[in-house]
Amino acid sequence: MTHLALKNVSKHFGDFTAVKDFNLDVRKGEFVSFLGPSGCGKTTTLRMIAGFEIPTEGVISIEGIDITNKAPSQRNVGMVFQSYALFPNMTVAQNIGFGLRIRKEKESDITDRVKEMLAIINLEKKADSYPYQLSGGQMQRVALARALAIRPEVLLLDEPLSALDAKIRVSLRAEIRSIQQKLGITAIYVTHDQEEALSLSDRIVVMNMGEMEQVGTPFEIYNFPTTVFSANFVGTLNNANGEVVDPANGTLTVDGVKFESATDLKSRKKGDKVKVAIRPERFSFASEIRKANVVDAKIENITFLGSVVRIQIKIGNTRFNMDTFNNPFLELPKIGSTEQVTCSKEAVLVLDE
Amino acid sequence: MAQTALNPKSSSPGSDWKKWLGVTPFFLFAILFLVLPSLRLVMGSFTNDEGRFTFANVLQLFQQQSILDAYWLSIRISAATAIGGGIFGFLLAYSVTVGGLPKPLRSALITFSGVASNFAGVPLAFAFIATLGRTGFVTALIKNLFGVNLYTQTEFDLYSFWGLSLTYMYFQFPLMVLIMAPALDGLKREWREAAENLGASTAQYWFRVAFPVLLPSILGSMILLFGNAFGAYATAYALTGGRLGIITIQIGAQIRGDVLHNPGLGYAMAMGMVVIMAISLMGYSWLQKRSERWLR
Repeated sequence: MTHLALKNVSKHFGDFTAVKDFNLDVRKGEFVSFLGPSGCGKTTTLRMIAGFEIPTEGVISIEGIDITNKAPSQRNVGMVFQSYALFPNMTVAQNIGFGLRIRKEKESDITDRVKEMLAIINLEKKADSYPYQLSGGQMQRVALARALAIRPEVLLLDEPLSALDAKIRVSLRAEIRSIQQKLGITAIYVTHDQEEALSLSDRIVVMNMGEMEQVGTPFEIYNFPTTVFSANFVGTLNNANGEVVDPANGTLTVDGVKFESATDLKSRKKGDKVKVAIRPERFSFASEIRKANVVDAKIENITFLGSVVRIQIKIGNTRFNMDTFNNPFLELPKIGSTEQVTCSKEAVLVLDE
Repeated sequence: MAQTALNPKSSSPGSDWKKWLGVTPFFLFAILFLVLPSLRLVMGSFTNDEGRFTFANVLQLFQQQSILDAYWLSIRISAATAIGGGIFGFLLAYSVTVGGLPKPLRSALITFSGVASNFAGVPLAFAFIATLGRTGFVTALIKNLFGVNLYTQTEFDLYSFWGLSLTYMYFQFPLMVLIMAPALDGLKREWREAAENLGASTAQYWFRVAFPVLLPSILGSMILLFGNAFGAYATAYALTGGRLGIITIQIGAQIRGDVLHNPGLGYAMAMGMVVIMAISLMGYSWLQKRSERWLR
């Protein structure tokens, strides 16, 4: 059942359209990420849910109740900010209890709830510390506890990890996901970090220039991108220009080299120019027998990237990257040699512009 | 070991004296115009007319009612103008920072404040006499337009406690604007949004978050305003001609010696001022550190 719904939501700032015709239904307990580059409208959409921006058009509802024009203080939506936004004049416990005090809850209930939240974020010993006495990771955990303490209908997280260093980011994102699942709270997470979105989310909304490019599970977004932008933004991608040869069989050519694709090409005609995309890890050397997509490739360069070895190959006149897992016994071809490489039909994506 | 060799400049003995070259004029200035006069002040406080050591000057500070009254009057005027100028200056700074007034107005006010906070002494006194004195322009205008004589029909008197306070306000509130504008800029938008998000109204945000965060800055600035007014001499002397016996005028009378002449007592009174100013500045420094910790 839909918990949070955005229907035809748009936001204009003068002549500039920040968000255009945004539609999304979020189920209760679902973790949805808005993923996209700076200026794509993801934060504006989040701020409209929080009530800090009012949509120019469209309706936002929680549990079927229209909250589009409600004040932020009336929405019961918790928000975690990129810059933590902890109140510097209050201790950790006072910060967490702030929303409950505003709601005039009983002092004993506030104390219990604050203790409960401190236990969840593992900061019981920091209850009496001030924000300036905490590390970035600790501050963000307190901000999370403060947002959760009021038992919000929806938890909004605006790039909460981007100010933290890489190691803490990874551990804290696992903590955020675990707390969200434990409490069963609906969460909307804004990020420009694809790894964060892929690892945290039940669903991802890929956004570009104020519009939704694609909505899907991390698996769908990564493996079956539907647009060039979506494919390029999430993961590494080889892009090439192709030409449809046989729409019925999904056959096309790239620089005269024949490829078969599992993408439905029936809506296209023979000779149509298309964008072809293949992820580097979908290529392999043609040691196994495949019926399709076995092509000659010239080895141009080999780069070690730690766990992965990236091999630059040339098929026809087009350069592709091919990734293979590193291991101490890996046999690599010689640079300059020509090898047969292959990929499955499903790996050959034909995308909309 | 290799790390120590990475920064050979810092360990070069030849460059050590060069580092101090830039601050030499400051130290010279401080020694000549701060340290030596202070020493002279302390020594003078404990010296009698015959050049012998004495506690009499310092003891007189607590024994002579006129001196205690002078200190009290200075404290009252300084406190009144610090509080008045502080509140007025804060409201002005609020209007042009978070109050949402047009940005050009902010630039204009900050520029005005920079000039006005340094506009004191005889020119300021003359400006007020020319506008609000017995025959001042504004006094005459009010009389002509409304038929009200400020000096005979109201309690107003430019040469009184409140008249002097009003004059001091001219340089007090701009100083408050200059100090408070950056502090108000330091209030993060996210604090307001976080408070709203947690259910707080605008009043609750100001009462529970913004005002407590700003309080050390406000109090610290008011202490600075207090010190600013406490040390003022020329404005008060030019405006009242000694009618109001504030401490700086009393010190001037003792040292200049037209009627009173006891330089030793004058030095002791000045030392008392230094003590009060030092306490004020320590308070300011403590509060400033506290607000910096919160607003960083």
